[in-house]
Amino acid sequence: MTEEEMIVCRCEEVSYEELLQTATKYNCSPRELKLRTRAGMGYCGGRTCRGMVDTVASTIKAQERTQISLKYQPPIRPITFGDLGRQDK
Amino acid sequence: MNDVIIVGAGPAGLSAGITCAKKGLGVLIIDEYMKPGGRLLGQLYEEPNGSWWNGIQESTSLYEHAVDLGIQFQLNTPVNNIEKLDQSWVIYTDKHTFNTDHLLLATGAAESPVPVPGWTLPGVMSVGAAQVMTNVHRVKPGERGVIIGVNVLSAAIAMELQLAGIDVACLTLPKLNKITKNAAQPKDVLESLLHVSHMAPSPLIRFGSKLMKNDFMKKMGVTFYPKEGVKMWDIPIQLRKAVINIYGDGEVEGITSATIDANGEVVSGSEENIACDFVCIAGGLYPLTELAAVAGCPFYLIDELGGYVPLHNERMETTLDGLYVAGNITGIEGAKVAIAQGVTAGLSIAENAGISGLDVDIQHSIQSIELTRDKAYIQFHPEVKKGKRILKEQWKEYERSVKKLVH
Repeated sequence: MTEEEMIVCRCEEVSYEELLQTATKYNCSPRELKLRTRAGMGYCGGRTCRGMVDTVASTIKAQERTQISLKYQPPIRPITFGDLGRQDK
Repeated sequence: MNDVIIVGAGPAGLSAGITCAKKGLGVLIIDEYMKPGGRLLGQLYEEPNGSWWNGIQESTSLYEHAVDLGIQFQLNTPVNNIEKLDQSWVIYTDKHTFNTDHLLLATGAAESPVPVPGWTLPGVMSVGAAQVMTNVHRVKPGERGVIIGVNVLSAAIAMELQLAGIDVACLTLPKLNKITKNAAQPKDVLESLLHVSHMAPSPLIRFGSKLMKNDFMKKMGVTFYPKEGVKMWDIPIQLRKAVINIYGDGEVEGITSATIDANGEVVSGSEENIACDFVCIAGGLYPLTELAAVAGCPFYLIDELGGYVPLHNERMETTLDGLYVAGNITGIEGAKVAIAQGVTAGLSIAENAGISGLDVDIQHSIQSIELTRDKAYIQFHPEVKKGKRILKEQWKEYERSVKKLVH
C-alpha cells in the first residue's frame, strides 16, 4: 500500500491523499476539511482520526489555542436510539 | 442524589473519591471500563530504589479502600453526556441518569494514532492496548512485535512486553509525512529520549546522554546513530529507520522498514522486510476532555501538557460551578501526580459542599502535587512545569476577562 492510499478515517474510508488535496485546494479549516471529506463523521464519532484531521489542517493554518478546533457533541459514546430516547420514570 | 459523582475510576478518581468519603460525603464513581484502576492497571516498572511499582496492586488497594468507605461504583458504564440543569449536574449513561451538585471529571488520557500504510490491518494495535492485553488480561498480543513510535510510553511498554516473554523486534520511527511530523524526526525523538535516559539500564547510555546536552552534539548523535540502533533491555531502538509499510494478507505478517537520513527522509533502495505477527502504534497520549468540552469549559492548547486542557485553578476547580478536574485530563503525567491531584480535588469538593476548616489541608495538598511532580520517575513531557505555568497564566487571564464583563 502506498502512503497516498493510506486510510486516515477508517469509518468513512477517507485517504491521506484526499485529505491533503482537499486541504490544499480549499485552504481548509479543520471543520471545513471534515465537512468536505466526511473524515471524522463516521460511527466512531471521530475518536480515532480527529487529531489527524486537525494536524492535516494545521499544515494550512496553525491550530487555534483558545478553542478546540473540531467541536465535541453529545452523545460522546455510541448509544442505541432506544436508550437515547427512553423516558426516565 | 449523590453528594459527589466522579467520572473515571483511575488513580485520580479513586483518590478523590476516598478523600471525599473520608469527609463524610456520599460518592458515586462511574467508569466505562469493567475494572477500576484506569491506566494504572497496565503499569509495571522497577523504581530507582529497586522496588516494583505494580499498577494492579495499587489499583486493588485504592479500590478496596474506596469500597470500605462506602463508595458506590458503576463500572461498564460509559457517560455519553453531561449538562447543568436547575443548578445541578446531570450525568447521562446508557441506562441511568444521575444528578449531583459536585461533578469531578477524572477521565484521563487517550492515545494518539500514527498513520502508517497498512495500519488498518488486523494485528495492528495501540501500544496501550498491547499493554492492557499483556498486563491486565494476561494474553499475549502475539509472538513477535514491532513498535512504531519511540517515546517514554513505548519504551516502558516494550520492557513490559519483554518481561512477559514477548519478542519485541525493535522500536522504530514512522515514516515522515504531514501527520507524523516530529515523531518521525530523528533529532526531535532523540532529544525527547534524552530526558528519560536515567531509565536506561546501560551506564554508557546514561553517560552518553549527558554529553548530548548541546545542539551540535545532538546533531552528531543523530548523524552517527548506529543504523541497527542502540539496545535498551536488549531491544534495538532505531532512530535511523522508519516503517514505510505494514504488510500481510488479511492480518499482519511483517513490516517494511527503510533507512532514513538525519532529517527523516527515506534513503531509496534501503528497504527491508521484518517478519512479525503484531504491530504496536505509539503516538503518545493526549488529555481526554470530551465531557469538559460538552459542558462548555474554556480550553487552552498546551503542547507541554499533551493537548487542549480545560482551564482550572490549583484547587482543581474549572470555570463552571460544581465542575472539577483531576488526573490526566489536566495534562499528561504519571499516576502518582494523578493521585495527589485527586486529593486536592476531593478536599475542594468537600469544602464547597460545606465542610469547614479545610484551608490548610488544601494548601498542603497543592504543595504535595508539586513535590510529587518534582520526584516523578517518568516525565512524559520534559517541560510539564512550563505547561502548568502557561495554564496558570491562562486562568488568571480568564478571571480578568470575567471581571471586566461583570463591571
